[in-house]
Amino acid sequence: MNPRMKRVVKAEEGEVYDIELDAEILEANRRIAEENRSLLRRYNVTAIDVMGSTGTGKTTLIAGMIRLLKGRYRIAVMKGDLTTTIDAEAISRYDVDVVPINTGKECHLDANLVRKALRTLKLEDLDLIFIENVGNLICPAEFPLGSEKRVVVVSVTEGPYMIVKHPFIFMDADVIVINKIDLAEAMGVEVDKLRMDAETINPRAKVVQTNCRSGEGVGEVVKALGLM
Amino acid sequence: MGGDGLRMHEYSMTTMIVDAVLEEARRHDAEKVLEVELVIGEFTFLNPEQVEFWYKVLSERDSILKGSKVRIELRRGYIRCPKCGYEGKLMYRDDTAYHLMVPTLLCPECKGIAEIITGRECTIKRIRLLGRGHESSAKG
Repeated sequence: MNPRMKRVVKAEEGEVYDIELDAEILEANRRIAEENRSLLRRYNVTAIDVMGSTGTGKTTLIAGMIRLLKGRYRIAVMKGDLTTTIDAEAISRYDVDVVPINTGKECHLDANLVRKALRTLKLEDLDLIFIENVGNLICPAEFPLGSEKRVVVVSVTEGPYMIVKHPFIFMDADVIVINKIDLAEAMGVEVDKLRMDAETINPRAKVVQTNCRSGEGVGEVVKALGLM
Repeated sequence: MGGDGLRMHEYSMTTMIVDAVLEEARRHDAEKVLEVELVIGEFTFLNPEQVEFWYKVLSERDSILKGSKVRIELRRGYIRCPKCGYEGKLMYRDDTAYHLMVPTLLCPECKGIAEIITGRECTIKRIRLLGRGHESSAKG
């Protein structure tokens, strides 16, 4: 045995040691989001993230935008939902490619699911992708997907406090849509106050008032996104 | 946080934390994880109490993690104004209509539009492991 070779040092039984890990949990998602973004740029495809609570009118807004933009762009839609393809089928009636993404138990889309969904699409045949997130105002803010622009939809039927209660998702938005303005009076909600809240929290975002069912204001959303 | 939406956010985040801790513990061939230190930023959507709760539930399922403690340090978020260079706390405006404080990205110095620079982290800062003894590692 070589006398210069000392005994192997190992952790003793019961020895306690600290490991400085500094592992950022959200980093993996951010990295994949960046990969998605560069993939989309390579194919010259613009992706737009549409977020908002359940029932705010995200799908109706997307359908309205498709109606306005169909002649101009080749469009596909990714449609996040816990289960079912009800909304995805509604969108497919507009004769665009739809990828339903069922998250199962997860309350948000993540960059990895979007990467998988991107693989099902022919990117060279597309100009524009709308990514509709799961109806939720909390979690999606934490998981960027790789889109160019983010739209957050709020509607008057959720009452007057939706924006001030969830400020951080609105801080990320490029466009904030206040929907169902035709119901404001019945709901006793002041649209101007909602608009002021949005502008206070995120002075960078464009705020647009809509009635997505009739199509009112949808053109303005499209313009605010720089698509028209 | 938040009355709407699904309350599974902390669950899925804590699952990711637990997976990362386990991977590290196995890499070091540790007998046990004793303690996990997390840093959670002010602008994340994570409620520390719920993270603690889920950590307890999830750590019970694994013999390496069972009985380990989680400690959470909350880190303040900061904003920066690209126009005037202000760096500091996010400002809150007193909203007289709702009697609550509403955060704003308006720069408190020049009324430019600030960006969030920190406060979105959810980091495993440090983990404390119990080493495996000679005999057990020889067996393994």
